[in-house]
Amino acid sequence: MTEPFLVARNIAKRFGALTALANVDLEIRSGEVLALLGDNGAGKSTFIKILAGAHPPSDGELVIEGNPVAFHSPKDAAASGIATIFQELALSENLSIAENVFLGRELKRSILGIPFLKRKEMRQRVDGLLKELDAHISDPEAPVGSLSGGQRQAVAICRALNLNARLVIMDEPTAALAVAETRKVLALTRRLAARGCAVVLISHNISEVFEVADRIVVFRRGRKVAERLAAETHHEEVVSLITGAHPDVRALEKTN
Amino acid sequence: MNVVRQLGNGVFSMNGREWSLLVACLVAIVIFSVASPHYATSGNAATVLRNSVELLLIGLGMTLLLAMGGIDVSIGIVMGLAAIAIGRVLGAGGNPLLALIAGPLVGALLGCVTATVVVIGRVPAIVGTLGLLGVYRTAVFVLLGGQWLSGLPSSLTEVLATSVLGVPVPALAITIAYLAVWLALRRTPYGLHLLAIGNSEEKARLSGIPVIKIRFMTFVVSGVLTGIAAMFYVATYRNVEMTIGSTLALDAIAAVILGGTSILGGRCSLIGTVLGVLLLRILQNGLLLIGVPSLWQPVVTGVLIIGVLGFEAVCNRLPLGRFQRARA
Ligand SMILES: Nc1ncnc2c1ncn2[C@@H]1O[C@H](COP(=O)(O)OP(=O)(O)OP(=O)(O)O)[C@@H](O)[C@H]1O
Ligand SMILES: [Mg+2]
Repeated sequence: MTEPFLVARNIAKRFGALTALANVDLEIRSGEVLALLGDNGAGKSTFIKILAGAHPPSDGELVIEGNPVAFHSPKDAAASGIATIFQELALSENLSIAENVFLGRELKRSILGIPFLKRKEMRQRVDGLLKELDAHISDPEAPVGSLSGGQRQAVAICRALNLNARLVIMDEPTAALAVAETRKVLALTRRLAARGCAVVLISHNISEVFEVADRIVVFRRGRKVAERLAAETHHEEVVSLITGAHPDVRALEKTN
Repeated sequence: MNVVRQLGNGVFSMNGREWSLLVACLVAIVIFSVASPHYATSGNAATVLRNSVELLLIGLGMTLLLAMGGIDVSIGIVMGLAAIAIGRVLGAGGNPLLALIAGPLVGALLGCVTATVVVIGRVPAIVGTLGLLGVYRTAVFVLLGGQWLSGLPSSLTEVLATSVLGVPVPALAITIAYLAVWLALRRTPYGLHLLAIGNSEEKARLSGIPVIKIRFMTFVVSGVLTGIAAMFYVATYRNVEMTIGSTLALDAIAAVILGGTSILGGRCSLIGTVLGVLLLRILQNGLLLIGVPSLWQPVVTGVLIIGVLGFEAVCNRLPLGRFQRARA
C-alpha cells in the first residue's frame, strides 16, 4: 500500500476543562473518500479544524507525506494543499462571490511594488468554476449575503476547488442542499478522488456516506471508536457504532 | 494610461446616500446664506475648507478602522501629541523638514501603541482606546506644563501654506491621501481583507487572512494620517493649546458614520466620509455665524450620530437587507 497523504497521530484537543478530542489516530489516503461520522458534539468539526490549521492540537502530531507539520494558521494548511469547507462555511457575506472564492489568496500584479488585484482574471476563473459546478448563480459580483444557503455552499465548494488541493475536507457540505444539488456534490467528491485527491467528508446522512465513501471512521465523545472499509460494513452496523450500541464500542468504553 | 484608467475606475462614483449628503451640504449652504449676510463670502468658504483639513485626513483613517470593526476614540489627542512634537522641533529652531518627519513619525509610533493594546493585547478597541485617551490627555497636560505652545516660528507654515501649480498644499495632500487609501481599499488584497475582518474576524481567520497583521497595520496607517493632520494644524495655527483635539474623535466618528460606513464594520464609503466631514464643518461654521454659541457644536455632532444610527436601525428592519446596499 502507498504511503498515506496525511497521518494524524494521537491527536487531542482540550478547550479549557472540556476534552473535545483524545488519542485520535487516522490515516488519510490520496484517491480515497473518507467519511467521518458521529453524533452531534462527537468532535468531528474540531478534528478537521486541526487538519485545517484553524485550531492548534493540544497534543499529537500531523505528518504529511512523511514530514511532520505544524500549522499556525489556515493559510499554512492551505499552503500544504489542504482545502476545507467549514461547517459554518466561513464566507464573508459583505464580499462578492468572486472575492470570496479568492479571499486570502488573490491573484495580483505588482505595479511599483504594490500588489494590485487582477479582478478580471479572478472573475473569469470564478465564472468557469461556477459553470463546472453547474451552480445556479447568475452574477459572481453579487454579495454572498444575498445568496441562499445552497448557493453559499456552492461558493464554499468553489473556494476549495480553486485551491487545487491535495486534500479536500467537507464538513456537512450537503446539509443545506436540495436533492439535485446533493447529487452534484456527491458526484464531485468521487470526481475529486478519481483525480487523485484525498477527500474527507463529514455527514449525518448514512446512505449518502455509503454511496461515496471508501472508508468510514466513527467518532464518539471525542474518540475514534471504529474504522471500517465501506465495502465491509453496512448501514445497521454503522448506526450501532455511532450510538454506542455496538459491542466493540461498549468494550472500548468499558476499558476507558 | 490604460492601467491608470482601469485602476481608477469608480474612484469618485457615488450612491444614493452620498448624493443625499451632497444635497444636504448644498441645502445647508443655501439656508445659511439667507440667514446670515456674512455667510456666502469667499473668505468664509476658505475658512470652512481650512477647518476641514485635519478632519478629512483623520476621517480617512477612521473609515478604515470602522470598516475593520475597530474604532479609535483617542485619535484627537494623538493629533495633539503629534502637534506637540512638531511644535517642540519648530520651537527649538529645528529644520522644518525635521518637523515634517516628526508628525507622521509620532503618529505611527502612537498607532503602534494603540495596536499593541487593541490587537496584540486583545482589549476591545472602544475600551482600549478610551483607556489610552485618559493616558494621552494627561500626557498632553504634562508635556505642555500647563501652558500653551504659542508663537511658533513660521518656518513650517512657509512650507505648507504654499501652492504647487496653483493647488494649495493641503488640498494636494488630501487628494493624494484619498487616492492612496481608495486604491488600497478597492484595488488591493488589503482592502478585501480589511472588509472581511470587519464582517467577521473568525471567518476572516478561517479564510487564511493574516488578521493580526492587517489590524495592526490599519491602526498604524490611521496614526500616520493623524500625524500628517497635526502638521497642517501646527502650520495653520502656530500654537498648541491644552484642549487640542478634544472634539476631533467625536467629529471624525460622526463624519464617517454620516458618510455611510457601518459602525459594525464590513462596509465603508470614502467619498461618504469626505462629504460627511464637509457637511459637519458647514453646519458648525454656519451655526456659529447665525449666532449659535460654539458650546453647542458637540450637541449638533452628537445628535447627528444618534439620528443617523437610529435611522439606519429602522431601515435595517425593513426589507431590502443591508447586503443589497452594502456593495454600493
Ligand atoms: N471553540 C470551542 N470552544 C469550546 N468548546 C468547543 C469549541 N469548539 C467545539 N467545542 C466543543 O467540542 C465538542 C465537539 O464539538 P464539534 O463541533 O467538534 O462536534 P461535531 O462532531 O462537529 O458535532 P456536529 O455534528 O453537531 O457538527 C463539543 O462539546 C463542543 O461544544
Ligand atoms: Mg460539526
